[in-house]
Amino acid sequence: MSTALKVEGLAASYGKIQVFWNISFHVDEGEFVTIIGANGAGKTTVLKTISGLIPLRGGSVQAFGKSLKGFSAAKIVRAGLGHVPEGRQLFGLMTVLENIESGADYLPEARKEAAKTKDFVYKLFPRLAEREPQLAGTLSGGELQMLAIGRALMSKPRLLLVDEPSLGLAPALTKTVFGALQQINKEGVTVVLVEQNVQQSLKLADRAFVLENGEIIKEASGAKLLHDPDVQAAYLSI
Amino acid sequence: MDLTLLLQGIVSGILASGLYALVSVGLALAIGVIGIVNFAHGEFFMVGAFITYQLFISFGFDPVISLFFVAPTLFLLGGAIYQSSIRYVLKAPELNQMLLTFGISIILQNLALLIWGGDPRTISSVAYRSIGYQLGGVSIGLVPLASFLISLVIVGSLYYALLKTPAGRAMRAVAQNRMGASLIGLEVNRVYLVTFALSALLAGLGGVMIAVIQSPTPIVGFAFTLKAFAIVVLAGLGNIRGILWASLVVALSESLVATLVPNGDALRNAVFFAIIFVVLIARSRRLA
Repeated sequence: MSTALKVEGLAASYGKIQVFWNISFHVDEGEFVTIIGANGAGKTTVLKTISGLIPLRGGSVQAFGKSLKGFSAAKIVRAGLGHVPEGRQLFGLMTVLENIESGADYLPEARKEAAKTKDFVYKLFPRLAEREPQLAGTLSGGELQMLAIGRALMSKPRLLLVDEPSLGLAPALTKTVFGALQQINKEGVTVVLVEQNVQQSLKLADRAFVLENGEIIKEASGAKLLHDPDVQAAYLSI
Repeated sequence: MDLTLLLQGIVSGILASGLYALVSVGLALAIGVIGIVNFAHGEFFMVGAFITYQLFISFGFDPVISLFFVAPTLFLLGGAIYQSSIRYVLKAPELNQMLLTFGISIILQNLALLIWGGDPRTISSVAYRSIGYQLGGVSIGLVPLASFLISLVIVGSLYYALLKTPAGRAMRAVAQNRMGASLIGLEVNRVYLVTFALSALLAGLGGVMIAVIQSPTPIVGFAFTLKAFAIVVLAGLGNIRGILWASLVVALSESLVATLVPNGDALRNAVFFAIIFVVLIARSRRLA
């Protein structure tokens, strides 16, 4: 199995505040990997650094064998990495359709298959098709999350980074969103999920990492970590 | 009240509003998409006017033909100014940005003074400059009418492009969410560059028209910067859609004051200050 993502000695900071110094991990193509950790552990920063939203302060990131050093966030999207960020970062004054289409508009390869990808997105989230002419800013939290995932899928990513998709969602919607991520992974897209809903996300994961204070302290299959006494004590209140 | 005088004021105001909208929409783009308050915006307008004058004097180019020379020239000038200065202050405090654009405004004004001097420059021998129509006692000049129609076509095309084309959607995307825009593959800095250059182009096109309507001097742009600010403030910062009606309000108010108030012509330049004053106070009371 070839490597989709290889992170070595990753370091990132917000101004003078260093978030982590030396994070290394890899993700194989087709894998579903979950990163869990407490608030402030650096999970979101890891994803933002990989997708170029935060400048790399040290280490290296390779996607599908290609170094992403010096790449802007936009160029990283063109390299096949989609990012569903924390807070969704949608265009509130555009319609659902415009948000969806914008995901492929500026990527020549994705644009060629935009109609087909849109059909896939609407099959995954039929609610979005119903809401097509509605302004994104008027959607509910669950619909916004669906739209954020849909927009990222329009770029035809080979690797999808998803940050806290269940945040603020009712359990039924969380189930829908996680089900969709599982479906996306079955279609061959590698998924890296950062999540605080530890139980659900570990159930989905082929492999998972525990991030604490800017360091990966555990790595195992999702099922194994779900039964790990330390993980149970720290994140599952067992 | 003299009804004809009132009608004349209304017609003149409506005709002026097109040019105001053209100049203001560029400023609104710079504020809305890039987030930069550009005090040099009126100087792009002034440069457009002087290029039109020079093309007429040196080569006998009709101002209508000049539109096609001024547009790319101002686009390049705007792009060059963005690349050489504006982009470095985008993350700086607003005061730094304002001081920089104010400095650019002074440099451009003085360059114009150096090249063309301080006297008004008139394109007097254009045949259609003096053509006018009488409609029930109201006179309508061909040049203000054409300027109004050309401005409407340009502003209308811009609205269409913003709503319906990928480039327009890119500008709206960057204006609404910069991080989101990066994540759909947009190079935000490139969008800023094009937006600033387009903003200069729009002001420059307005300058072509003012070169025929008035006789430009190096300080003609400053008054238009202030008017454009009044319009942008009235429409709501960055609100491109509101520019048309806000331009109409400012231009009509100016024209009616100039026409109906005794010694009103001297007061017309106070109108946009009064509008900024009233709007800012009304908005802050609503927020309080």
